[in-house]
Amino acid sequence: MADLAPDLEAADLTGGAGVLGTAEDAHSPYGTLGRPADPPLRRDPLTRAHALLGAHPVFDGHNALPWALRLHHGDDLTPGHYYDLEYGEPAVSTDIPRLQQGRVGAQFWSVQVPTALSGDHAISATLEQIDFVHQLVRAYPEALRLAMTADDVTECRNRGRIACLLGSAGGQIIDSSLGALRALHTLGVRSMLLTPDRNTPWADAAADTPCAGGLTAFGEEVVREMNRLGMLIDLSYASTDTMRHTLAITKAPVFLHRCAARNLTNHRYNVPDDVLAQLPRNGGICMVTFTPQRVAGPVGAATIEDVADHLDHVRNVAGAAHVGLGGGFDTDPADGRPEGLEDVSGYPRLLAELISRNWSFSDLAGLTWGNALRAMRGAEFAAREARHRRGPSTATIDRLDRADRRDRMTRLHWAWT
Amino acid sequence: MSEAAREGGAAGPAGIETARDLLARWPVVDGHNDLPWALREQVRYDLDRRDIATDQSAHLHTDLPRLRAGGVGAQFWSVYVRSDYDGDRAVSATLEQVDCVAQLIDRYPGDLRRALTADDMEAARAEGRIASLTGAEGGHSIHCSLATLRALYALGVRYMTLTHNDTIAWADSATDEPRHGGLSAFGEEVVREMNRLGMLVDLSHVSADTMRDALRVSEAPVIFSHSSARAVCDHPRNIPDDVLERLAVNGGTAMATFVPKFVLPEAGEWTRRADENMRAHGLHHLDTTEAGMKVQRAFEAAHPRPVATAATVADHLDHMREVAGVDHIGIGGDYDGTAFTPDGLRDVAGYPNLIAELLDRKWSEADLAKLTWQNAVRTLRDAEDAARSIQKRRGPSNATIDQLDG
Repeated sequence: MADLAPDLEAADLTGGAGVLGTAEDAHSPYGTLGRPADPPLRRDPLTRAHALLGAHPVFDGHNALPWALRLHHGDDLTPGHYYDLEYGEPAVSTDIPRLQQGRVGAQFWSVQVPTALSGDHAISATLEQIDFVHQLVRAYPEALRLAMTADDVTECRNRGRIACLLGSAGGQIIDSSLGALRALHTLGVRSMLLTPDRNTPWADAAADTPCAGGLTAFGEEVVREMNRLGMLIDLSYASTDTMRHTLAITKAPVFLHRCAARNLTNHRYNVPDDVLAQLPRNGGICMVTFTPQRVAGPVGAATIEDVADHLDHVRNVAGAAHVGLGGGFDTDPADGRPEGLEDVSGYPRLLAELISRNWSFSDLAGLTWGNALRAMRGAEFAAREARHRRGPSTATIDRLDRADRRDRMTRLHWAWT
Repeated sequence: MSEAAREGGAAGPAGIETARDLLARWPVVDGHNDLPWALREQVRYDLDRRDIATDQSAHLHTDLPRLRAGGVGAQFWSVYVRSDYDGDRAVSATLEQVDCVAQLIDRYPGDLRRALTADDMEAARAEGRIASLTGAEGGHSIHCSLATLRALYALGVRYMTLTHNDTIAWADSATDEPRHGGLSAFGEEVVREMNRLGMLVDLSHVSADTMRDALRVSEAPVIFSHSSARAVCDHPRNIPDDVLERLAVNGGTAMATFVPKFVLPEAGEWTRRADENMRAHGLHHLDTTEAGMKVQRAFEAAHPRPVATAATVADHLDHMREVAGVDHIGIGGDYDGTAFTPDGLRDVAGYPNLIAELLDRKWSEADLAKLTWQNAVRTLRDAEDAARSIQKRRGPSNATIDQLDG
């Protein structure tokens, strides 16, 4: 750690921009991979990336390891029986040695389950995923630690552990029940998708036929209850109308745990510029995914530069305080991975690319760590504020969305006016 | 008999005063109260419309003033959901019920105290508050998932009745066709995981074979949250004598219920006809909404109901004390889970009448203290101890019903 400080100074590009502008930096950052001792160290973007990540590790928004392990080891998920994350698990893209190489300091573990399960197994399957993350944290206490709040995340980092947050859960699984939403929060879940890849009864998804035109009245109540609880609102996979509608009413910063810019890659899950432009007012964060289809289009092959292009774009439109990383590792193996970002050890290479694109030290520190932490803290403040105004909501979807009731209210409205 | 004499029971005012004194020191731990379901059915958890800090006798068996009058010191609130719910619907409805109990505790902090352990129960008694525990009623609430069971434990649920009225995929119910001859292999694993967690195994509602299987497998004391003695009233919901005898070995507690059709043989037949009448009106036979109660009252007016009293319940307790022993009995009224209640035990204010009746039958104060408070608290404490020792040997079980039951 003793030699970290000078490196950090060097990494602070306010004084070092001129240095970076030299011809040396025309080299691809990969060029130095096999030559770690190659001088001059201070000018090597990868070394700088490591120095920066040592102080400001990666706070990643989306990793689907719990489901990937369930697919590989569904017969016996007990940690240590058929796999050992501490030793390394080549069947998946995530294990503890590679998380440490990638300088990951905090991870949202997705407890989402496939929408195909929404029939009669979705909520139990989600409870199983939550329980499984708890089991992993218990099994690897030297590397992992559970975090429920922004303070916990900081504390984990102080102890050298990877902070493990539960989320996102799919919004379909609460079965339109605010009591179930509160139960998820009590069990430690800190983020929920309003929609998975299909509509929920109260919100439109990007990949489904719009029904509500955004959120229904009950959908708005879900957002208000999430605000009150301090449950982060994940707008990934939501329709653009749902995103706009949510941003109009939420009192807390929103998260796009796994997203990319539609302006660059016209994918239905990607976020349009007008929504990105609203993030500064809201305080939320767009965590950019590495999935090739999302950052490079249907052709599939993507590079670190593609991901960096999206990060550049989100930074330009939303601002440097509203961009983060949401790799989406272990989601769907068929998606493939950009070259250099095959697994969770790849983050420093991405950071090196951004350093060679002249991202400032403070922008990078916000990207990897600070922005997500700030947005999370903002949601906690909003919840504390909301609790003075509101108790637990017992609204039901029948009461708020039933068509005949809405019609009656409309008739009453006209009778009065 | 006049109304007042009935309420007072045979003991007279002096007996009642002694009973109240006793309950002030050793209040009632009640094993089963369905207030959350009544709140769901009547007002969909809109607690403003059923403020239990005020008199709710027009709508409910339960409110805080009557719990106080009844000398209740701890209540297992049931987070029951109907047994025809299955899959996701059962699980999320159970989560809503759990949430309702949490809201009640938050809303009435002066009277209710959240309790997760036996120590919490003692602390509540010392503070003069009602320890509020949670019990799930029916294995359908976990949808064959041990992780869901662990989630319920994490949310504060401290007992689970293995079945409700219907046989489920891994356990036979007392009131349905047996399919497993007791517990299936997965059912046994559920019992072991409950032992590991420190969640009490509740054997009310299950078939006699399931009771015997569970007593064989369980390493921790079990409870019957609301069941009486089959030898006194031959109803499948009650406990046979051979099981009561084994309870003494297991260390558990059988909590006698007050439901007239389970305690009074004549009431059973009457209830069967009343249920048919409800179904003939197109209602679920456990419907306690206004409409349902109206149909029930009309039937009652036309066909006088055989009347159970505190003495009927005392007959059961006498027998259970004889067979299981005084260290293994308790009380589980099932208020707000049954349309009818015995005279003298009409609502949660009625427990002193039962205690007065038992005093009349020369139960000692030491025995009554065990009945009302000590046995239930000891059972939970022993289950916690068992869990601590099991956790040294076993981690969380990830077994699935497919693996164990094929």
